[in-house]
Amino acid sequence: MSTNTYDAIVIGSGISGGWAAKELTEKGLKTIMLERGKDIEHIKGYVNANKGPWEFPHRGGRTQKMIEDYPVLKRDYPLNETNLDYWTNEKESPYTEIKRFDWFRGYHMGGRSLMWGRQSYRWHDTDFEANAKDGIGTDWPIRYKDLAKWYSHAEQFAGISGNRDGVPILPDGDFMPAMDMNVVEKDVQKRFKEHYNEARHFIIGRTANITVPHNNRTNCQYRNKCWLGCPFGAYFSTQSATLPAAMATGNLTVRPFSIVTKIIYDKDTKKAKGVEILDAETNKTYEYFAKIVFVNASALNSAWVLMNSATDVWEGGLGSSSGELGHNVMDHHLGVGAGGRIEGFEDKYTFGRRANGIYIPRYRNLNGEKRDYIRGFGYQGGGSRSGWSRDIAELAIGGEFKDTLSEPGTWTFGMGGFGETLPYHENKITLDKTKKDKWGLPILAFDVECKENEHKMRIDMMNDAKEMLEAAGVKDVNAYTTDPVLGRGIHEMGTARMGRDPKSSVLNEWNQVWDAKNVFVTDGAAMASSACQNPSLTYMALTARAADYAVTELKKGNI
Amino acid sequence: MNRRIAIRNMALILGSVAVLPSCLNDKKGKPVVELKTLKIDADQENLVSNLAETILPKTSTPGANELGINLFIFKMLDDCTNKEQQENFMGGLKDFDDAVNKKYSKSFNECTVTERTAFVTALEKQTKDEQAAMAKNAVDKKDKPKDAPKLNSFYQMVKGQTIFGYTTSQYFMTKQIVYELVPGRYNAMFPVKKTAAV
Repeated sequence: MSTNTYDAIVIGSGISGGWAAKELTEKGLKTIMLERGKDIEHIKGYVNANKGPWEFPHRGGRTQKMIEDYPVLKRDYPLNETNLDYWTNEKESPYTEIKRFDWFRGYHMGGRSLMWGRQSYRWHDTDFEANAKDGIGTDWPIRYKDLAKWYSHAEQFAGISGNRDGVPILPDGDFMPAMDMNVVEKDVQKRFKEHYNEARHFIIGRTANITVPHNNRTNCQYRNKCWLGCPFGAYFSTQSATLPAAMATGNLTVRPFSIVTKIIYDKDTKKAKGVEILDAETNKTYEYFAKIVFVNASALNSAWVLMNSATDVWEGGLGSSSGELGHNVMDHHLGVGAGGRIEGFEDKYTFGRRANGIYIPRYRNLNGEKRDYIRGFGYQGGGSRSGWSRDIAELAIGGEFKDTLSEPGTWTFGMGGFGETLPYHENKITLDKTKKDKWGLPILAFDVECKENEHKMRIDMMNDAKEMLEAAGVKDVNAYTTDPVLGRGIHEMGTARMGRDPKSSVLNEWNQVWDAKNVFVTDGAAMASSACQNPSLTYMALTARAADYAVTELKKGNI
Repeated sequence: MNRRIAIRNMALILGSVAVLPSCLNDKKGKPVVELKTLKIDADQENLVSNLAETILPKTSTPGANELGINLFIFKMLDDCTNKEQQENFMGGLKDFDDAVNKKYSKSFNECTVTERTAFVTALEKQTKDEQAAMAKNAVDKKDKPKDAPKLNSFYQMVKGQTIFGYTTSQYFMTKQIVYELVPGRYNAMFPVKKTAAV
């Protein structure tokens, strides 16, 4: 047995890769986790996490140099001085935009689990049944009952704080105590309830920040510096949660700087034998072998790995026999919402910085309602009291003006929508072989856009936001919308979808590639629809479920 | 205040020497701050420093210059603005200087503190009136809002960076308001005192 042989290979170390490594190693499999980027060590690697705002030369802003170096990242909030190292170097890893797609990546240990938004919501049967009901895309091969216990498993380990709100469309889970709403949010919630009764709900966000100590992790300290990496391990990341659990088994090997270039496919057994990697530092090629391969490279890169694999059998790569590999790219469309001013509560403020907000779950196209579009959207937002950034007409300069800067300003409330995007076959990524990345590998080309259903939905997303805030007593409500560019949601999904039929899907009900039963894809690529909830919790549950199945089948000798 | 002392203070305030402009040249007519892209002379540098100090003067608490906010403004302008913004800034600076000369027959740097304050207060009012007029035009859709004059955009840039630099300075965040690196709790109904938490 070669030293390069393991029981299992996990490609990628982000949210789902970390989960795969944890589950497989805890079930006794000798596993290697391959990460294309550098290592970032828990706590020690979070170099900016304990700095005060004044310690950043540009106080967190962006320089012209950064804007030049990051032509994609600059399009939205992620480009900033405080965690620049966590975002992918765009000059080394470019991609082609046939249509604009904002791809915000993290190529390092832990992937985007270090920078994620942490909002964690279960799906509902409405979501799993939607494709079948609407005759769109492919039917999910699973229903809520198949995933319910795995949601619990994921929540219990990751640590999700929230209330059991009893909202029918948003199943309750196994939560830690919820974070508090502030005084303004409570007021808005009260008026909201008076106005909408049970038709719409206004709840505290369910977030992967622990509120009580858990597995040697300290509860959230209300710093709101999550995306720098948390020295307390208070939010779920690979580093804080799954990696230490996997390492504790003694079964995990981690290899950074390992770009998986292909899955090695055996035509005779119709299974994968292992993977080929390129060492990102030395440019040398290595092979690793295993009985099962978990592909968790993030939705678009997982598709990239499959497209580059078994091309001697299928020109379009492993899983392309369905004609769906790389197609049906989805994200959540956002950048639409409303905000305004809250009167009163001048004698109240908040203390501590809560890394969480409020959530309004989907309410459209439910209970028989039919809008001129299908599916729905939710909102995330919150109330806050501004600091100095306010206008005091009569005190615009001088000593008194200086003093007023330290007093709290007006209370504001704002929220933005997250809308479901439908799976369109023509929304696709392909290999652009005319261009290469730093390592001479082909890059991805994006041809993805929002269509009529999303555009129509956004009209409701804007108008409803204004209407609800006004009903809840918010003053001077200003509604906004923007060009719905996909990718901005950083919820890429759909490029190797699950389904019931190998002719129309890449994966079966257990996330196995139809054409290679020992290859499992359990990240965003597997999603057959996008719903409107933040998807990471579902990736965790799918991964744990698939890992359980994989080990059972392996023991039975079926794969 | 001696300029070298100002720079040393800034190092303390920013908590790092690495962010400092690398070279100091205190010869007459040359600026103290060496900038990579922005070209300014000593008079212009002093004008911006005096303007920042006029916006946030030293009282019983430190003013802009004592806190090194003037140097912060130059760092932000130099690193974070593009060529066009810098040209607007320089054009606005000249317009500002010309307007002061027209009114007082001397430069802003030569004006008394009272004169500086009076001039900037008038400018504030004028800016607000223009903004109100522009907003009205935009609502009435009579015509497109005109570009704000360079003088105003220069002034707003200096004011914005002065306030940003001040409210994110270590002095402000630790002495004027209660900033805790590790709050440890979230109190959603905290009664307001004179100094606010963030």
